[in-house]
Amino acid sequence: MTAALPLPIQLVWLIPVYGFSGVLLSLPWATGWVKRNGPRPAVYLNLLVTLLAFGHGSLITLEIWKRGAQHLSFNWFSAADLHLSIGFDLSLTNLAALELVTLLSLLAQFFALGYLDKEWSLARFYALVGFFEGALSGLVLSSNLFMSYFLLEMLTLSTYLLVGFWYAQPLVVTAARDAFLTKRVGDVLLLMGVVALSALAGSMEFTDLYRWAAQAQDPSQGTGQLAPLAGSLIGLGLIAGPMGKCAQFPMHLWLDEAMEGPNPASILRNSVVVTSGALVLLKLMPLLRLSPMATTVLLVVGTISAIAGALVALAQVDLKRAFSYSTTSYLGLVFIAIALQQPAVALLLLLSHGLAKALLFMSVGSVIATTSCQDLTELGGLGNRMPATTSAFLVAAAGLVGLLPLGCYWCFGLGVQAIWQAHPLFAGVIVFTNLLTALNLTRVFRSVFLGAATPKTKRAPEVNWLMALPMVSLTVLVLLTPFLMARINPVPGIGAFSLPVAIAVAGSGLVGVGIGSLIRLDQFWSRSIQQPLRGIQDLLALDFYTDKIYRATIVAFVAGLARFTNAIDRQVVNGVVDGIGRLSLQSAENLKLSVSGQLQSYVLTVVIAIVVLLSSLTWIVGEAVR
Amino acid sequence: MTSSALMAFPWLSLLLAIPFLGTFALLLWPGEPSPGRLRGITIAVLSAQLVASLALLLVFDPGHAGMQLEEVHSWVPSIGLNYQLGVDGLSLPLVLINAALTLVAAICTRDFSKRPRIYFSMLLLISGAVNGAFLAENLLLFFLFYELELIPLWLLISIWGGSQRAYAATKFLIFTAVSGMLILGAFLGLALFTGTVDFSLTPITSERLAMGSQIVLLSALLVGFGIKLPLVPFHTWLPDAHTQASTPVSVLLAGVLLKLGTYGILRFGMGLFPEAWAQLAPGLAIWAAISVVYGSLAAIAQRDMKRMVAYSSVGHMGYVLLAGAAATPVALLGAEFQMVSHGLISALLFLLVGTVYRKTGTRDLDALRGLLNPERGLPFTGTLMIVGVMASAGMPGMVGFISEFLVFRGSLLAYPIATLLCMVGSALTAVYFLLLVNRAFFGRLAITPASDNPVEDSRLDIQLAPVAPRETLPALALALGVLALGLVPALLGHWSEATTTAMAQLPGLVALIPAGGVG
Amino acid sequence: MPVISADLTRQGGMPSATELERRLLAGETLLAESPDHVLEVVGVLESYGEVLDAYSRNLIYQAEQQFLNPFPIFKFLDGDLSPAKIWRHLNHDRINFEYAEYCMKAMLWHGTGGLDAYLDSQAFADLCAPIIQAKRRNDLLLTLLDPLFRQFLPELIRTAATTHALGQFWRVMSDLFIDLAAAERAGRVATIAQVVDVLKQGLVAAAAQPITYAVTIAQQSFPVLPPEAGLTFLADVAVPYVEAVFLRGMPFLGTVSFNAQAQQISPDQGQFAYGALFADPLPTMGAGIPPSLLMQDMYRHLPAALHDWYLQRSRGEGDVRVKICASFQKAMFCVTNAAIAGTFPHPAGSSDPQALGANQAYARAWASRLASARTDCLSAVS
Repeated sequence: MTAALPLPIQLVWLIPVYGFSGVLLSLPWATGWVKRNGPRPAVYLNLLVTLLAFGHGSLITLEIWKRGAQHLSFNWFSAADLHLSIGFDLSLTNLAALELVTLLSLLAQFFALGYLDKEWSLARFYALVGFFEGALSGLVLSSNLFMSYFLLEMLTLSTYLLVGFWYAQPLVVTAARDAFLTKRVGDVLLLMGVVALSALAGSMEFTDLYRWAAQAQDPSQGTGQLAPLAGSLIGLGLIAGPMGKCAQFPMHLWLDEAMEGPNPASILRNSVVVTSGALVLLKLMPLLRLSPMATTVLLVVGTISAIAGALVALAQVDLKRAFSYSTTSYLGLVFIAIALQQPAVALLLLLSHGLAKALLFMSVGSVIATTSCQDLTELGGLGNRMPATTSAFLVAAAGLVGLLPLGCYWCFGLGVQAIWQAHPLFAGVIVFTNLLTALNLTRVFRSVFLGAATPKTKRAPEVNWLMALPMVSLTVLVLLTPFLMARINPVPGIGAFSLPVAIAVAGSGLVGVGIGSLIRLDQFWSRSIQQPLRGIQDLLALDFYTDKIYRATIVAFVAGLARFTNAIDRQVVNGVVDGIGRLSLQSAENLKLSVSGQLQSYVLTVVIAIVVLLSSLTWIVGEAVR
Repeated sequence: MTSSALMAFPWLSLLLAIPFLGTFALLLWPGEPSPGRLRGITIAVLSAQLVASLALLLVFDPGHAGMQLEEVHSWVPSIGLNYQLGVDGLSLPLVLINAALTLVAAICTRDFSKRPRIYFSMLLLISGAVNGAFLAENLLLFFLFYELELIPLWLLISIWGGSQRAYAATKFLIFTAVSGMLILGAFLGLALFTGTVDFSLTPITSERLAMGSQIVLLSALLVGFGIKLPLVPFHTWLPDAHTQASTPVSVLLAGVLLKLGTYGILRFGMGLFPEAWAQLAPGLAIWAAISVVYGSLAAIAQRDMKRMVAYSSVGHMGYVLLAGAAATPVALLGAEFQMVSHGLISALLFLLVGTVYRKTGTRDLDALRGLLNPERGLPFTGTLMIVGVMASAGMPGMVGFISEFLVFRGSLLAYPIATLLCMVGSALTAVYFLLLVNRAFFGRLAITPASDNPVEDSRLDIQLAPVAPRETLPALALALGVLALGLVPALLGHWSEATTTAMAQLPGLVALIPAGGVG
Repeated sequence: MPVISADLTRQGGMPSATELERRLLAGETLLAESPDHVLEVVGVLESYGEVLDAYSRNLIYQAEQQFLNPFPIFKFLDGDLSPAKIWRHLNHDRINFEYAEYCMKAMLWHGTGGLDAYLDSQAFADLCAPIIQAKRRNDLLLTLLDPLFRQFLPELIRTAATTHALGQFWRVMSDLFIDLAAAERAGRVATIAQVVDVLKQGLVAAAAQPITYAVTIAQQSFPVLPPEAGLTFLADVAVPYVEAVFLRGMPFLGTVSFNAQAQQISPDQGQFAYGALFADPLPTMGAGIPPSLLMQDMYRHLPAALHDWYLQRSRGEGDVRVKICASFQKAMFCVTNAAIAGTFPHPAGSSDPQALGANQAYARAWASRLASARTDCLSAVS
């Protein structure tokens, strides 16, 4: 079968290798072996391999377009009944995701060349982005759960290293730690699910797992049926990984803190990383039938994330954080779509959100690069001076909000149309989230781009071409998103929703924009004097005190347990040992068997041990024989 | 040479002869050789040992499950002590690890101030004794080698250790002596009760024994090897021994000597008493889980980097016991992987902690900060440290992951709760090692506890001695090994799979493997 | 085994504001007199002079030849498009001109002094209008963007003007620093006091030098900073430069969080203390520390004597760029010292009590500002 396939498809295993090879190619500069010259060759090499990955991906897409989906598998490791393979599932959906990943990675890397132009550790940054991209591009093509888990963990590691890029900055230290640990908790729960599935179902290929899950659910199958508790636990384990990756409540904290990392990494993190997490969840969707509980949890988590994320975003004064919470919110909507068995809507939403959010973060990066400031209260009046940045923001906002006929408008329309009869509540969540997002984007736009210039925005020339070019390219791409969506999803067509639905979506967007334009901006920042309002403001601005809650519960619990164990270890376990030691030495003194030195005490111990041992042996064996 | 001639060559005796002859050569070397020359001779001997160990791969048949390259010579037949050697998939990787890590220990030795001749000869003696223990096919011979390794290690700690070395060395000695006695007692008991004086591994069967006696003997073995492993609550000698031992000794201790415990448990505990093993297995799984969680929690509370790594050993060696308790083919292969993986990773971590200590004079996590600083800090050490801790935390792409995955995958159906607890321990590993990296390597460079005044802190000037590139070579080699086995696990699985699969099919054990299904 | 030994860490003493004020008034140098200091300061200023020469040429080239170029891909090549130069550029075997742009941006962003005031004036706006007209004539994109974003092009012209002005400033400083090194080699300068004096003389001599800038579009010259604006070297460029780069500086992403909620960065730029005189040399070459670029450039132009001196200290070549940074900080204290000495409102030693009072107030203002800088580098022990 493999022999008949064209070369680009046979060489599909190269796709993740491109990104990973960027790591190796960057090493001479990242490690400082090249001392006299600067790190930029590493940048060019990484851009080159990313371009190769994109080009190779495009070739494969063309071939698959002609031949239909293909599946390639390479054996990685086998032992006894365990067979682990590297599998690629070359469907158009996966390839579209691959193209999204490589294209955004390319644009973000290009953007970073301008954003980090005075950064001496560029090579390390690009090595990490290469690692990131390698793991991501393998993940979206992965055809088996083991490889998906493998690469998800690598993503966790690369997120840690990217967030920790400015390792000397105090808040980065905690941010990198929290990002890793939060995701790691999700990953370990996922690992439990993966290990359980591997042991129970045997194969790790998604298609085999679907078959197994259907069987395990089938009541007519007497033997292979899975206990409901085990099914539920596995389901919960499986969704925990994507929950962590997609920054869903209550595992969303890391995304806020991860904003301490370099902006080009934030571009990728808020677009393709969360998307990859959701794609894994999509692949796991048929398995969730094992566990109705997991579906319920998905719905609850998605709803809370969507609404609370949007509300918390409203109260942020930090430019990056105002939008990172919105990522949590949109991924919440994706979770709802997946839980309600709407994979098409989920996919389209991931695509339009990914592109628009990447553009939004590019625009944000331009603002930060120009003003050295991310505080909304200190920004203003950039609109008439930064054409590329301003239009990027406007287009990205339009792409995110269901109002103008760009990406998310059609997604929301399809989503509401699909679920409003069976689940009106969740249709309401979509519409309400749209309203809140429109409100948030409008108020941020006003405070950054409109109004009078502030001291920090008084001199704000447009960013250099290295940042402007990818930003403008992506702006065009976001404007073209509806056409892309129409190509990907011809049936029933992206406009397949009724007029009332269209009015509801556009209306909610319009109301959001309206409120956002009318509110007094300062009421958001200055804390209100009225106690209840002030309480709500603080609650939202500080993200429901989630970090404090964590600190008081899980962190305190583990730390307490660790201290307790350590105390036991020192006082009790070691104390007993020391006591015995002292006693034996003392008795040695008393018996005048030994004068001094350790060898004597050794001999003594040996003698005592033999005596004790033999006597107890004879006694026990005697008992047993009798 | 023909292939049969190759097979007939006493390869295993060669593996004993090289280090032992090296020991004598060092001790009897005429005149007063300089420490550098002694180190050179040691490295040459150990390189030869490594080459000879690698040569085993050429003559070893990976498809064959039983003992290979056997050598049998009668020695003291009256007490059943025969010179009887053999190697199989369980011991082969450990022999390689022994050669590699002893070489690393010799290379990274930098303190020549005290009696270098004794030091290096003891190093060789340990390596030879460990090889003997891994290759012995006779219980008494194993015991001889097991005890032989004890005294040189005790000397290494008590002469070249830190300020509390007397306490730590004595503690180590007492614990290991008790361990030896228990093991000897069990071996003698087995002979006594079965009524034979043949201590060969192969003909011994415990079937004839009553289950009660089997359990007693197995328990003695478990405690004996459990001390060496070490399992909670017999572990307290380990953190003290590590904190007092010098870096090369820690590398040996963690990388090689702890494996004698796990090897002993699998080879003798499970191999000699499969029926009793099956009886005790549920308890062993729980014991393993307790050990893992206890070790991990205790590690979180440590402030001394070396103690933290030592406690991580307590946690990670527990996985081997869990896998042994489950005794499925995948789990036992996982146990083998875990032994190798822990050997490489803990050796790597001890090397790096040793470098940090040598350059900064402290291992206190409250004092160390910002060591990643590229010009004045230890950036390369920091990079390798990130590799090491991530490997230890089970990050895919490194050998720690595949080991843990195999152990968990093989054990889950047999002991779901214990396995899940061990996975929690794996998550806790990420916690303490991440804290280690974040505290010591992130932030602004300093080697004093942070004061209340960050402005004053930013005025500290630090002048650490640089790490020469060749000083990092052993750690780099280990890190590459960790990555290579993590990316291509077949490099290891190929040699061990036949043996571990056969071990899982020991008659008494088979009943243990559940038919499938949980809940 | 070792515990933390005293030689691993050290803290230099910091002179008080009173002490600094006394030194300034008495005409003593801020930096203590020592042969090592002379070697460090003169050596590092020599390499800085060579780097500034390249920076200055490039900034002037950018402002004149790459004016309003939307894709200035070859802006760092100074017009030399030979394959060898392009290869060196791609291989990053070059001066890091990004640092020069960084300093320009700092000046532009902090916006103090006469140049900045002129950029906001109506006179400047009147000069911009014909330039924009001329540019729009054959550029469709600008024709489209200018009416929509009225301040887009003026802001870029302001940037170009600042770029050019900084280029002119660095031209003078580069020559001064290289002359200083020549004077030291000739034996005319042997103490820190003489170093400061040479720098002061150089600054005073250039003080009134006019700063002008014009661009050529389609063979027609358009003034941007015309002579009539009366911008001069010392008051309108040098002082704002010292304010923006030596004193205020910009927060480094590698050491300061930009998180608005953490409020690590003051909302008032006047309170910033991230400049060269305040910087911590230790993280040099770490991630997110822009001056690393300058240290690398100076490293590549280090005089042999100073390089040898570095090789004998701490990690030798291993931490040479941290040592360059520390020496550079000392040199910048000397330059600041010279600038203060050259800008006293009244001549030193004046007997007029009013003049004395004015001088005292001037010295006090500087001393209080410098008191929290990294003055621990000033003592003779290193």
